[in-house]
Amino acid sequence: MKGAWNWTWKAGSILLLGYVILRGFGTPLQPGLVTATPSQLRIGTDTIVLAAAGQPFASEDDAPADFHVVLRAGDQLLQTETVEVTPHSVRLSVDVPATLPARALDAFVFTPAAGTLFLGNACFVEEAAKGDIPAAVRADAPEERAPQLGFSFPYQPNIIESIRNLLWHVPMWFAMFFIMGLGFVASLAQLRTDSADWDMRAEAAVKTGLVFGLLGLATGSLWARWTWGAWWVSDPQLNGALVTVLLYSGYLILRAAMGDDDRVGRLAAVYNVFAFIMLVVLLMVLPRYTESLHPGKDGNPGFNSYDLDNSLRAVFYPAVIGWGALCYWMYTLRLRMNRHAYRLLSR
Amino acid sequence: MASARHTLRTAGTIAGLEWQLEWRQGHQLAAVGLFAIASVYVAFQASDHNTSAAGWTAMLWLVHLFSGFTAIGRLFDRERTDVRRYLQWTAEPLGLMLGKLFHAVLTTTALTAVVLGAFVLFLGWPQEVDTPGKPGLLVLGAWMGGLSMTTTLVFVSAVASQIRAGGSALAAVLGLPLLLPQLILATRLTRGALADEPWTMLVEYPVFLGALGAGTSAIACILFPYIWRA
Amino acid sequence: MTLVMKAMLLLNSLEGFFFGSGKAHVVTGVALMILAGLALSLWRMDRRLTQLEKASREDNH
Repeated sequence: MKGAWNWTWKAGSILLLGYVILRGFGTPLQPGLVTATPSQLRIGTDTIVLAAAGQPFASEDDAPADFHVVLRAGDQLLQTETVEVTPHSVRLSVDVPATLPARALDAFVFTPAAGTLFLGNACFVEEAAKGDIPAAVRADAPEERAPQLGFSFPYQPNIIESIRNLLWHVPMWFAMFFIMGLGFVASLAQLRTDSADWDMRAEAAVKTGLVFGLLGLATGSLWARWTWGAWWVSDPQLNGALVTVLLYSGYLILRAAMGDDDRVGRLAAVYNVFAFIMLVVLLMVLPRYTESLHPGKDGNPGFNSYDLDNSLRAVFYPAVIGWGALCYWMYTLRLRMNRHAYRLLSR
Repeated sequence: MASARHTLRTAGTIAGLEWQLEWRQGHQLAAVGLFAIASVYVAFQASDHNTSAAGWTAMLWLVHLFSGFTAIGRLFDRERTDVRRYLQWTAEPLGLMLGKLFHAVLTTTALTAVVLGAFVLFLGWPQEVDTPGKPGLLVLGAWMGGLSMTTTLVFVSAVASQIRAGGSALAAVLGLPLLLPQLILATRLTRGALADEPWTMLVEYPVFLGALGAGTSAIACILFPYIWRA
Repeated sequence: MTLVMKAMLLLNSLEGFFFGSGKAHVVTGVALMILAGLALSLWRMDRRLTQLEKASREDNH
């Protein structure tokens, strides 16, 4: 029966989003190395502390001997001695040789229960001459043990906990694309048939899409502040997004300026078609050809921007469906309002 | 559907009409020129021969943009009402659009020359640049940027002309977001040309500008008949 | 809700930074409240519209 399905998908979308919130904020983050102190090393014995974020990778009573740390220069490994291990850090002492294949050292921490942690370019040795690591301090790669972390989100450098934003920012843009696409089709139909109903659909679509576009910009800006340090950067993807929002605001201004003029429908539809084509060009075509800070670029449209872990997928796909359905619900409400107003006005 | 020759003939007639209007209502173009030069003079006074490459580029494009708005914003609104109505009934829309586009290209080329020339005359080159690294590319960038913006502006002006109240003001409001991509590309190109950045970094900009301009004029031509129908 | 949290924490034998400080609970709570509020307002709008549509259909007949 139609009525039952109606309530099902609407309630379903809300429940889905509730699940996304619970799981999205409730799932812990896998551990990952963040900093190495000090990052400038001198030749000779030195102590380094590697700090981690996310879940603890050790408990209070773990023996330091179980944790092996190697430093990699070029393709050779330098051995270290693990002095102390806390839930979120490792202290190790290393005998820095006078010759190294490369000045930058990557750090690998081999843990018994949390897999292998990695920090690229953890330390630098300015004074080292170029050469091989002396055999006395060279290490072999320790055995890697599989992580037993349970359901947890992957760690990405710089992003750390804010990876949860993936469940808000990305689905909101997807929803906007989807609903603007609907509006595009409606505008095309409007130009073909000149009917008021298609025009109402286009307007409802743009209004709803704009809400999600603004939300997408807001979540993106917050994310940028955390990961890149600025609320806004000049980046093709971001510029394209801003222009898109401005374009569709222009659409609403155009409609408002025309008021009750009966050519509103056609003119607005023309503008909408133009705006959508620009949107596709700006957000899908241009960014592929230019370098971008934005995750997922350098060729990729951003669908699989992160190494989407299975755990992330379990929450991301429902998020996309949930936000998409919510967007569609808002669209139908707006459309029904438009239709009702039209009915009242044309009595 | 009219034949191609008919379309071209219409385009030619319209272009000719625009040219005549330009001469008869000469004050319009003169007003734009005056606006451009006055703006450049303000820029000169503000900067007093003391600009960076970035500042120079910023002022150039601001002046170019707003002169463009003034010049093209009322492109579809210049004829007398009865002439316009006549055109609406008789002229083939595609030809009309092409004619107007052609005229806009001419106007923009002249405008670019005026603006760029005034800039060099009044402000000279920016401080750290004795002569621009790539003068040819600078001129090309200014010209292509102007053209790319013009094609979009023509479309917006067509839309705005159909709005009875306050249409021309709306052209600016609607047009600006549409122009942002071209502006970003054009400013990068001219700044790079001034600062003598390597070819490989700059070559993509004219290509994109050209592609955007061609794309927008194509869409404008396709969509114009829908706007124009009474 | 706390039961669900406890269950999920038990599944992971290790506790997180985020949870230790309690921030996760606050954020989740706020988000759920906003979602509930949104859902409520949308639902009420939906019901109102249905009533209006029904009324106008009856007027026409």
